[in-house]
Amino acid sequence: MSAEAVMELANVSRTYGQGEAKVFALRNVSLRVLSGEFVSIVGPSGSGKSTMLGLLGCLDVPTSGTITVCGKEITALGDAERTAVRGRTIGFVFQQFHLIPHLDAAGNVETALLYRGFKPAERRDRALAALQQVGLLPRADHRPVQLSGGEQQRVALARALVTEPRILLGDEPTGALDTKNAAMVMELFANLRSPERAVILVTHDPGVAAAADRKISMLDGEIVADERKAVVL
Amino acid sequence: MIGVAAIIAAVGLTDSAKGDLKRKVTELGTNLVLVSAQSSVGRQNPTLPKDAADRATKVITVEKVAAIAQLANIVVTPYERAKSQFETVPIPVVAVDDQLPNVLEVPLVSGRWINAFDESATTRAAVIGIGLAREFNYLPGEMRTIELNGIRYGVVGILDKVELEPAFDNAVFIAFRAAEQDFVDNDIQPNKVYIRCKNGTETETAIALKTAVNLGGPQEVQTEIKAAALELAAQSDRQLQLIVVSMGLLAVIVGGLGIANVMSISVIQRSAEIGIRRALGHSRAIIGAQFMLESLVVGFLGGVMGVLLGIGAIFTGVKISGWVFVLASWLPPAGIVLAMLISVLAGVYPSTRAARLEPLETLRLG
Repeated sequence: MSAEAVMELANVSRTYGQGEAKVFALRNVSLRVLSGEFVSIVGPSGSGKSTMLGLLGCLDVPTSGTITVCGKEITALGDAERTAVRGRTIGFVFQQFHLIPHLDAAGNVETALLYRGFKPAERRDRALAALQQVGLLPRADHRPVQLSGGEQQRVALARALVTEPRILLGDEPTGALDTKNAAMVMELFANLRSPERAVILVTHDPGVAAAADRKISMLDGEIVADERKAVVL
Repeated sequence: MIGVAAIIAAVGLTDSAKGDLKRKVTELGTNLVLVSAQSSVGRQNPTLPKDAADRATKVITVEKVAAIAQLANIVVTPYERAKSQFETVPIPVVAVDDQLPNVLEVPLVSGRWINAFDESATTRAAVIGIGLAREFNYLPGEMRTIELNGIRYGVVGILDKVELEPAFDNAVFIAFRAAEQDFVDNDIQPNKVYIRCKNGTETETAIALKTAVNLGGPQEVQTEIKAAALELAAQSDRQLQLIVVSMGLLAVIVGGLGIANVMSISVIQRSAEIGIRRALGHSRAIIGAQFMLESLVVGFLGGVMGVLLGIGAIFTGVKISGWVFVLASWLPPAGIVLAMLISVLAGVYPSTRAARLEPLETLRLG
């Protein structure tokens, strides 16, 4: 049975400025990510990785081309609809964690469940279950300032997973971590793989890229390589 | 908070003062009319006709009449040795008939008033106001003399506080005959006549008295309804109230600008939080509503504290002044609503700004 495409970019370009000052951050990119895939997007600074991340995360709209998320074309949607698709479908993990400082770990995870019709008790239960999944249930009542970098990133991962997204999008998820914590977080990513979910990590870390099944290389706003690991039978 | 407190205190204190005034006017009656000689160009110390009191009784609505003549250039001292101390502070000396306390409806604290005997026998009897008694350290019932331009007068009584004529509290009252004998070369003519008329007839009595007292003579006469004069004083209090309320409103508006400023800074400081919540699927409307709600809560808390502070100021003012505490029931909720309204207006710009923040601006991707 072939996997469903969760993310499709068709001839997508993203430009900034006009006329002679026009800059192509992404130039005519086409990409298809299937459910269950573990994808890394690599490239040097200025290759268009951040722009690609913004478009994959429905945080930005392309200048031309179309983007389809789980079969729904989002390019022509208004901001509110695009926001709703993003909230339902995509979980984010950022390099800087971006936890809310005045909320404890459980509260940060619960933020992803707000305004979705859950009762407070159910929200709390789901948040604690997500923290359990990343091994941080005992620290549920700790604020970010009381957590280490690795623990904060695991809370961010729990927040990304609690909505059961079809796509887990990571922006340099180990960029702010030491080697030990980075390895721990990458192990979690590996363990969180499932046929219903695609994991896309944007990184310039070769170690992170090597953990993925598929490596997409970018340069100057274009995809220059799309390599899949050989499956050993 | 301060603006709301100022408005509450201004309105409450003025209402309490008005309540106290109403009480005073009710106690003293509204049917007191004052007839006085009107000063005109080139005429100093205007007076009424000598029989002005008799003429006033001809008005059918007049019930009681008392004439007075305010005397000038009389130095009052409690005793010989205090002359140098009191010379610089002029004390009013008033020639009176035997009816004044009856007309003013003011009792004596002690002793008696100037009577017909004082008038006929030209005794040097004096009555002093309660303020003067306190200043001269009179004990109740004490027999003392005072000196008027060096002439000894015996103090026979102390008049209680006269709400409608505060100047009388520090005055000395002597008989017309004594004044004529000791201080004035010619016959004394009264310059004021106090009248009690039938209740509800103050206005027509005042009009009639002008003609009755003047009778076409050269002296010009003016009348004043004393209760109305107090009401006029209250009017100026209301104008003062309006000024203080306006200043309070200005303070509330400035407070609103402060809320807008603080909320705007909050948006900047929490831009990363806004970005991540937008990434998590929170719409612009939700983000804007959150900041507007925070602004509203700040306004509500400020309003409540302002109301409490204002009520505290009223309590303090009333305690010091001896007024009755009056606070309109609509005032506290109105103060809170006003604070919340201003905070909502103040929150429009910061909440709009928060809603418009793009996640890509704040999340530092890559």
